[in-house]
Amino acid sequence: MGMSAGGGGGGLQSEINVTPMVDIMLVLLIIFMVVTPFLQQGITVALPKNMNNPEVDPNIIKESSIVISIPNDGEYYLAKKRLAKEQLADEVDKMLKGIKNEQDRIVYIKSGVGVSYGDVVNVINEVRKLGVDKIGLVADKKKKGGAVVPATS
Amino acid sequence: MSAFADEPAKRSSTTAEPYINVTPLIDVLLVLLIIFMVVTPLKPSRFKADIPTQRDPNEDLSKLKPNPLTLVVTISPDLQLKLNADNMGSVNDTGTLSTRLSQVFKERLQTRAYKVGMENRTDLKDEERIEKTVFVKAPRATKYGDVVKVIDAIKGAGASPVGLQVDDLP
Repeated sequence: MGMSAGGGGGGLQSEINVTPMVDIMLVLLIIFMVVTPFLQQGITVALPKNMNNPEVDPNIIKESSIVISIPNDGEYYLAKKRLAKEQLADEVDKMLKGIKNEQDRIVYIKSGVGVSYGDVVNVINEVRKLGVDKIGLVADKKKKGGAVVPATS
Repeated sequence: MSAFADEPAKRSSTTAEPYINVTPLIDVLLVLLIIFMVVTPLKPSRFKADIPTQRDPNEDLSKLKPNPLTLVVTISPDLQLKLNADNMGSVNDTGTLSTRLSQVFKERLQTRAYKVGMENRTDLKDEERIEKTVFVKAPRATKYGDVVKVIDAIKGAGASPVGLQVDDLP
């Protein structure tokens, strides 16, 4: 009797205790679930890739940031909404009113590499009429390892 | 007494594992976790650029003095670069431009070419006081990607802020 009980105990000990692992995973899962709704994805744009020096800015994907996407010539999106050029200023103005902090008055522009600069300038022109003088040109940073520091003679 | 002593032994033999099988739970959790991790994009980045604010059309511009320290990078329609009036290679080879710009900033550090309004700000480091503003001027027909490439090179040389010319573009 005593032997069989000991054998049963030994069998139980051979299992891995997964409780801490489950705890950690649950916490991670909850963190990601909570963070995801506050982020905006926007439209898929062929952003300029492998840039050496853009600054990392987590605000770009914040729900409250103003992001104008130009995937192709003449197509304008504010967040995920397609807008005509004439509507753009009004909508951006509405969003700007929600921004209290002067520092945060920045409009992000996600433009595809193939878009003509004139289109981008048109958008910038609309934006600056609203009194914004800071814009962020969204670009993909080069992955680590390939950073080239310009030679200084 | 004997019944009590028997009880635990009996239980361990008949109900062998009083544990929930958590393997499927972990599987589902892991999949969910991976989905959320993939969906959450990490570390987006951007170039900060300044644009001129709307000017009062009635303002008398003739009184404004041009700043002798102004640096303008011009992209010509055939994608050649110019820093003020000097040729600086092409869009596809921005090395010359960044080398020249960092040279200019180095010289300015030595000659103490400070920004307007920064002459007496001794509380700041010299690097922050010298004029490092660079303007970018590109024709409207240029591809956006080329302009960003040039901005990347300018930022790489240490320029800050970068300004975009918006008016009077060819």
